[in-house]
Amino acid sequence: MTDAATRSAFDLAEHKSSIAVLVAFAAVFIFFAFGAQGFLSLTNFLNVLVNNVVLLAIVALGMTLVVTSGGIDLSVGVSLDLASLAFIALLAHGYSAPLAVGAGLLAAVLVGLVNAILIAKMKISPFLATLGVLFIGQSAQRLATNGGQPIYLTTSAHAQTFAAISRSSFLGLPTPVWILIACIAACYLAVHRMAFGRYARAIGAKPGVAWYSGIRVPFTLAQVYVGAAFLCGIAGILLSSSVRSYVPMSGNAFLLDAIGATFIGTALSRDLRPNVGGTILGVVLLALVKNGLLLIGWNFYWQQVGIGVLVFLVLAASFGLRRRGD
Amino acid sequence: MTAAAEPAQAPTRHNRGRIAAFAIRVGALFMFALIMAYFAATAPGFVSTFNIINVIEQSAILGVLAIGMAVVIIGGGSDVQTGGIDLSIAANAGLCAAIYALMTNAGYNQIVTVSATFAAGMAIGGLNAFAVVWLGILPLLATLASMNVAAGLELTITENTVVGTTSSLLTVLAGGRFLGVSALALVLILFSLAAALVIHRTPAGVRLYVVGGHSEAARAAGLNTALYTASTYIFSGFCAAFASILIVSRLSASTPGTGELLLSVLAAALLGVVFSRRFIPTIGGTLLAVLFIGFLANGFQLLSISSYWVSGVQGVLILVVVAVTTFARPQER
Repeated sequence: MTDAATRSAFDLAEHKSSIAVLVAFAAVFIFFAFGAQGFLSLTNFLNVLVNNVVLLAIVALGMTLVVTSGGIDLSVGVSLDLASLAFIALLAHGYSAPLAVGAGLLAAVLVGLVNAILIAKMKISPFLATLGVLFIGQSAQRLATNGGQPIYLTTSAHAQTFAAISRSSFLGLPTPVWILIACIAACYLAVHRMAFGRYARAIGAKPGVAWYSGIRVPFTLAQVYVGAAFLCGIAGILLSSSVRSYVPMSGNAFLLDAIGATFIGTALSRDLRPNVGGTILGVVLLALVKNGLLLIGWNFYWQQVGIGVLVFLVLAASFGLRRRGD
Repeated sequence: MTAAAEPAQAPTRHNRGRIAAFAIRVGALFMFALIMAYFAATAPGFVSTFNIINVIEQSAILGVLAIGMAVVIIGGGSDVQTGGIDLSIAANAGLCAAIYALMTNAGYNQIVTVSATFAAGMAIGGLNAFAVVWLGILPLLATLASMNVAAGLELTITENTVVGTTSSLLTVLAGGRFLGVSALALVLILFSLAAALVIHRTPAGVRLYVVGGHSEAARAAGLNTALYTASTYIFSGFCAAFASILIVSRLSASTPGTGELLLSVLAAALLGVVFSRRFIPTIGGTLLAVLFIGFLANGFQLLSISSYWVSGVQGVLILVVVAVTTFARPQER
C-alpha cells in the first residue's frame, strides 16, 4: 500500500519534470515564432541544424554516453581539437584525405584511451582524470602551435576535400546532417537497445551492484570513454572542414553546452537518467534559443546570459520536482 | 567475509592505510622540497627575497580564490561529482572586476564601488546557494549555469574589452608596503590566516567539516546543514569579489578571460588535499598548493622554459596526486 503510494507520487514527479521541459521548449518556440522575424522558415531551421545543432549534438552524444555511466568528461574539447589538429596537419603535409580523417579519429581515440586508463584502470574519479587530461591537452596544443596559432588551409586542392565533407549533400540533406543521424542511430542502439547500454546504466546507477553482478566495469567504462572521444573526433573533423582550419582550443566552447544539453535531457526520461532522445532535444532547445536571440537582435554576449538562465531554469524545474517526488 | 575474520583484519588494513597515507604526505612534501631545491640550484635568482615576495604577490589572487573553493569543498563533501564545487568562482571574479573598474571610472566613490563589487559577488554566491540548497541541483551543474550567467554579464557590461582604471585603493594595493612586505603579499597572508582561524579553530569550522563529511549525521546531530552549505557558496562569492579587486590592482584593469583562472583554482584546491593528514581540503594545504603552483610557474620562467608547459605540468601533477591518494584510500564499492 505504502509502496504503491510512493510509487504513484514518483510517477507524477517523472511526468512533471518532462512536462516542464516540454513546456519550456514550446514556450521558447512560440515566443520566437511570434517575436523573431524569419524564425519560422525552412531556411532558418536548416541553417540552425547545420550551424548550431550538428557539432554540439555529436559532442553531447559523447557526453551522454559518459554521464550514463555515472561519469563526466571535461576533455571533450581536447579530443575534438586533437582530431582537428591531426586532420589538418596531415592534409597540410600533403597526405590523402582518407588518411587524414583516419589520423584525426585515431588522435581522438587516443585521448579516450588515456581517459579510460586513468578512470577504469587507475580508479581516478572521472572529473579529476578528465580535468588533468584537459590541462595536458591544452599544453600540448600550445606547444604544437607555437602558443595557439591557427593553421589555415585555403588552397583550392584542400577546398575540394573540405567541400566533400561539409558542403556536399545527399537526398537533399547536407552530409554533416547525415553523419549526425548516423551518430544518433548508433548511440541510440548502443545505449538503449544493447547490453552495453544496460551495463553502462547499471554502472551509472550503482557501480558496486554492477560489479557484484559480474559486469566487467573497467572494460565497459573503457568503451564509454573511447566511444565518447571517437564521437568528439568526428565533430572535430566536421568543424575543421567547415572552417577550413584548425583553431587551437576551439573545442572547449562545446563543453558547457554539451553538459547542459545532457542534463536537460535527463528531465525527459522516466527515471531521470541521461538518454539519447532527451540530449538531442536539449541540443535543439539550446540551438533554437541561440538562433532566436540572434534574430531578435540580442548580441552574442547576452546570448550567453540567456543560455545560462535557461539551463538554470530547466535544471531548477527538473531537480526541484525530482526532490519533491522522492 | 565472516564476522569473526573481520575484526582481525580491520586493524591491519587500517594501519597499512595510515602508513601509506603518511608516506604519501611526506612524499608530497619531499617532492615539493625537491622541486624547490632543483629550482634553487639551477634557476638564477630563485632564492632571493625579492623573488619569493614576488611569487607570494603573484599567488595572492589564486590563493584567495582557491581558499573560497576549498571552503565550498569542505562544506559540500569532497566527492567531485556530487559534492561541493563552485565552477562559477573565476567567472564571478571577472564580473566583479568589471563592475569595480566600470564604477570607479564612472566616478562613484570607493565605498559605494567596493560595496557594490562585494554585493555582486555575493549575489552570484547566493544564487548558487539557492540552487544547491533549496532547489537541490547538483553543485557541479548549478555553478556551471551560474558561471555562464556571470561570464555573459561580464562580456555584456564590458563588451569584451579591457577596462583600464585607477583609484587610491588600487594604488595602495599595487604599490603599498608595510614592514617591507608588499600589500598584496600581506593581503594573502592575512586572508589565509583569518580563514585558517575560522575553519580550523572555531566550532563553526569543525561543524562545517561534519556537514561536508556526513550531512545525514550532521542533520541528526541538530546542525542546520542548509545554512552551513549555503554560507560556503556565499563565502566563495565573497572570495571572488575580494580577488577581483586584487586582479584590478595588479593589472590596473579588468580584462576578459579572468574566467580562465578556474582551472588553476581547481588544481590548487584539489592538490591541497594531499598536504593534509586525512586527504581532506584544509586552508594550509590549499595555500601550500597555491604557492607550489606559483613557484613552479616562476621557476619555469627563470629557467626560460616555455610557459606553454605550465598547464601540462599542472595536469600531470593533478593526475599523479589523485592517482596516489586514490591508491592510499581504502577501496569503497
